[in-house]
Amino acid sequence: MNPLDVVSLSKRFGGLQALDTISFSVLSGEIVGIIGPNGAGKTTLFNCISGFISFDSGSVRVFGQSVEGLKPYQIVNLGLTRTWQLVKPFFGMRVVEAMMVPSFCRRSLKKYDSKKEIRENIIRILEEMRLGDKLWEEVDNLNQGELRLLDIARALVTFPNILLLDEPFSGLSHKEIEDISRVARNLNAQGLPVVIIEHRLRELMKLVQKVVVISFGEKIAEGPPEAIVRDARVIKAYLGERRRKIGLA
Amino acid sequence: MRINKKASFLLNRQSPLGLGILGTMAVFAVLSDNIFYVEVLKIACIYAIFAMSWDILTGYTHEVNFGFAFFVGGAGYASAILNSHALLSLYITIPLAALAAGVSGILIGYLTLRLKGPYFSMATLAFASILFKLSFIFYEITGGEEGISGLDVFTDNPKKDFFVAWGIMFGVYLLLTLYARSRHGVILRAIRANEDATQSAGINTAYYKIEAFAISGFMAGIGGGVFAHSQMHIGPTMLSGYISIIVVLLAMIGGMGTIVGPLFGAICLTILNEYLRVVEEYRIVIYTGMLILLIYVAPDGIFNLKFVKKSKVLSFMLLGERRPV
Amino acid sequence: MEILIIGAVRGALYSLIAVGFVLIFSVGGILNLAHGTYYMLGAYLTYIFYTLVFGASGIYVLILSAGLAVVSVGIVACLVYYILLRPHIHSLTYVMVMTLALALFMSEIMSLLFGVSGTSVPSFIEGSVSIGGLKIINQQLILIPVTALILPALWFFLKRTKIGQSIDAVSQERTGAILMGISVETATLMTTGLSALLAALAGALIAPVSSVVPEMWLFPLIKAFAIAILGGMGSLMGSIIASFLIGYAEVLSSFLINEQLTELVALLVIVLVLVFKPSGIMGYKLR
Repeated sequence: MNPLDVVSLSKRFGGLQALDTISFSVLSGEIVGIIGPNGAGKTTLFNCISGFISFDSGSVRVFGQSVEGLKPYQIVNLGLTRTWQLVKPFFGMRVVEAMMVPSFCRRSLKKYDSKKEIRENIIRILEEMRLGDKLWEEVDNLNQGELRLLDIARALVTFPNILLLDEPFSGLSHKEIEDISRVARNLNAQGLPVVIIEHRLRELMKLVQKVVVISFGEKIAEGPPEAIVRDARVIKAYLGERRRKIGLA
Repeated sequence: MRINKKASFLLNRQSPLGLGILGTMAVFAVLSDNIFYVEVLKIACIYAIFAMSWDILTGYTHEVNFGFAFFVGGAGYASAILNSHALLSLYITIPLAALAAGVSGILIGYLTLRLKGPYFSMATLAFASILFKLSFIFYEITGGEEGISGLDVFTDNPKKDFFVAWGIMFGVYLLLTLYARSRHGVILRAIRANEDATQSAGINTAYYKIEAFAISGFMAGIGGGVFAHSQMHIGPTMLSGYISIIVVLLAMIGGMGTIVGPLFGAICLTILNEYLRVVEEYRIVIYTGMLILLIYVAPDGIFNLKFVKKSKVLSFMLLGERRPV
Repeated sequence: MEILIIGAVRGALYSLIAVGFVLIFSVGGILNLAHGTYYMLGAYLTYIFYTLVFGASGIYVLILSAGLAVVSVGIVACLVYYILLRPHIHSLTYVMVMTLALALFMSEIMSLLFGVSGTSVPSFIEGSVSIGGLKIINQQLILIPVTALILPALWFFLKRTKIGQSIDAVSQERTGAILMGISVETATLMTTGLSALLAALAGALIAPVSSVVPEMWLFPLIKAFAIAILGGMGSLMGSIIASFLIGYAEVLSSFLINEQLTELVALLVIVLVLVFKPSGIMGYKLR
């Protein structure tokens, strides 16, 4: 049973075909990157997989279970958790409170025997993110990098069996990207499949084992990073417009 | 770095000022011989129940409920009708009425689930107005303009009546504070900050929103029932926009989202309102005008003022916040 | 037949009220819950000017009073906006609560001044007309021609005059308007005044034939909202059509079912639309 199977997924918004029969799978323990030019439909893909948008046709299966018609929180309880590109975390609350929220989901409540365990787990996760000392900090006071790490930390509290990261590097400095990459790599090394949407290609390619390329709602390529960066179709998708503008080809 | 024990979330973090007010009222009622003052305090208790019940929903979800009269008046009338027409004891009718209000809360909560901002607020206003209109259409049962009179009282003694109201208010205060500090409150605040992110955390946000609505309705219903029987009368004012708006103002001036803020605001302002009876004719106008002024000056409410939150002393005294070591 | 006319009268009345309400929301992002109050003040101030200031002396004075009433309400609305709303205009909660509180306040003042049973204003045009064998009061009929004049005038103002166009621009695309150098502040201020003028005019015209009581602010407000969500919060044409729809629905339900149900029509519209089609009507962006 694969952590994630997307088969022939399609979604149309009025006149725009945002996703057109996209198919790919995430195998156990894989770390996969999803790339594509702006507006290709990557975030729509995540939204469909995680239940925030309904899709028109095709299927999405998380460990064999179809997520069609499920609400986002139900999909989390199946084991799939996502983070958000626009980080709007729980302003007005403290880090510890933000971390407690996911611990109240059904999936996590089943895994704990006592409140003490919840607390200890939260502290442990935060310390892995190197946010241990920020426990009582107000979320408003965290910087961008810390907010991203907090996002991932919160996701981990739900005991995901597959993690989706939506543009985790955006707006961050090199060092911060390093931190996030390290975290993702560690999680994957422990067996957690991770799917990452990203634009920062150089950093992403160092991180992932497999890349899926989407352009205008269609999957145009899939393969290991080394092959993808040399793939003519991929290059054309990213640079195609520019060539036309300059007047070549 | 340890997280304080769960208990500290509950009992140790009570607001000294809140407990102080509650204590002062009780002591005053015991010692005082002035029935008028005791009556005033009794009404203040009831308005405090209203304000706190309103706060548990709007203060924690930031969706403004303008239809509070639905629960207050609805339960008040329900209890009154059962009491005067069906001759049931008020110890039965009030809980029943509150239960009905709670169930209505579930219903309205469900219907307004996807509404935000002005749409939510106007929908709640519409629901309350429908009930208001219905009370005139079915005037045989509800007494129309005049309402229902001759309701049972709790006790024969104004002081004992006061303590009934006070006791219920204290109970509501404790329950709502516990609720607000429990996972329900944390989740509501998370929903308020970012509903999508809360969904992503695996939380069934619809459930918690509806639950808050139900609790708000139930507590409001208790308040409405107690009010009706403490006055021995219920009239259409309790279903009108008047009560809805006043409760909103009392709670907001006190400070939304704190429970103790609305308690404080309701008690102080209601006492002030009664004090204004010296100029009875102009009382309502002056009172309403004052409320407007206060909202203008402190839109977030007294307990939410920035300088209160920044000051260690004030935030402890008012909110019971203690910065952990 | 009389349904046709009475419904038209209602529709006309409601469109005057609703258009202003929708306009100020789409231009200023202000959900003005005191809109019904402006309607009420139009009626009360006409009475005040006519009876108390001028001593009730004839039709021309009456019309003058109505005119003064309408203008005063416009000024009051602008003051309310400038002094009370502007400082915290970003918070929709504050705007809603403050305007609702003001509505209550005004209502209590009127109750204080003139009592709970209200007052009465004489008609601008006496008598009635017989149409199809039924009597229709002239004062009510006036609404139709007045509205028929005002609404196109409003359209002309918004689409053809420079000031109006700036208002129109802000209502459609705020950021774009700012980039074009249009002052959103001024546009909002003017729209506030305009919106209140329309509501007050409706109040002044209907005062002679309607009960002028302190509570008369609530239901026009509710109906304005019902019309707004039915017709689309950003669309003037939509509001006008919706006004007539609701006007006719009320008249029909009053004739066919029960008089007391008329007031419920608007309420039911609100509940039904919001509950069953919240996304459909809410296509308009909330600020």
